[in-house]
Amino acid sequence: MAKAFKYGLKGITGFLEPAERELLRSLIHDVISMLQPEERTHQDPLAAMIGLDMDVQEPTDRAVRRLLPNVMKNDDGASLEFRQLTERSLRETKIGALRAAALDLDKDEILLTPEGARHWSMALNDVRLVLAERLDIRDEEDAEHVHLMQDWSQAEDVESYLALVYNFATWLQESLVQAMLQSLDTRA
Amino acid sequence: MTLSVALGPDTQEGTRTGTEASTDSLTAPDIPWNLVIWNDPVNLMSYVSYVFQSYFGFSESKANKLMMEVHKKGRSIVAHGSKEQVERHAVAMHGFGLWATVEKATGGQGGSGKTGGSGQGKGKRG
Repeated sequence: MAKAFKYGLKGITGFLEPAERELLRSLIHDVISMLQPEERTHQDPLAAMIGLDMDVQEPTDRAVRRLLPNVMKNDDGASLEFRQLTERSLRETKIGALRAAALDLDKDEILLTPEGARHWSMALNDVRLVLAERLDIRDEEDAEHVHLMQDWSQAEDVESYLALVYNFATWLQESLVQAMLQSLDTRA
Repeated sequence: MTLSVALGPDTQEGTRTGTEASTDSLTAPDIPWNLVIWNDPVNLMSYVSYVFQSYFGFSESKANKLMMEVHKKGRSIVAHGSKEQVERHAVAMHGFGLWATVEKATGGQGGSGKTGGSGQGKGKRG
């Protein structure tokens, strides 16, 4: 069984079983593959170098749209313009955090620097956002319903399995964030 | 947001350093753009509070107040500033996975919840 993250003298530490690390690694890689920017053959190399993407569109996949939301609520044109300037680097920021977390999964004892912890919290959050879309969590009631699934012997179908995985990721993120809040308190 | 365990009492008013908070120098009361954070059923309450504390440099009590406003009213204005400033914050919030939008302060976007500014978005320097 995984151990909750803890804040102590060494920093933030955690422990995951090999199967749990394997699970997290595959979830992280799924999210990374969703976030990889499309290769464009005709792209202006200078624009690409400074992170512009003039051909970008609002994502069609709900989960990707949740990871890369519109910046304005009621102005799709302005949101798209903003995407052209920022989406590529946002994708890279997210992929960077996910990759950093995946690297830490090579050992079962996890020791995190403040920056590593931030990367982990971002990565776990993105994993949860994607799982939540797959589970159709639209409101707090849906979330509570999913939260009731805690027993691995109940995993009978894809949905119940996903719910258990989501709850595991939630538990792990919550313990990590509590440790991070403690480390903020100590530093202050 | 998803309920998480209760957070401790506020004893750390205004002592944290927001490394990226950039609205410190703004003093005009009615700078015309707002950064809005929206409620969603996935983000942990503790995580939202952590992001507000670590990114904006808000005290624990201010971060929790704004977080609860997001949770209960569906949205909260957490910073004001120029369009460029609030857009930069929005990208940072998207990086953390929070659902953030920008809007004109007087634009009548018709969102639910309050439109007044409870958060001045001033990152406190510790």
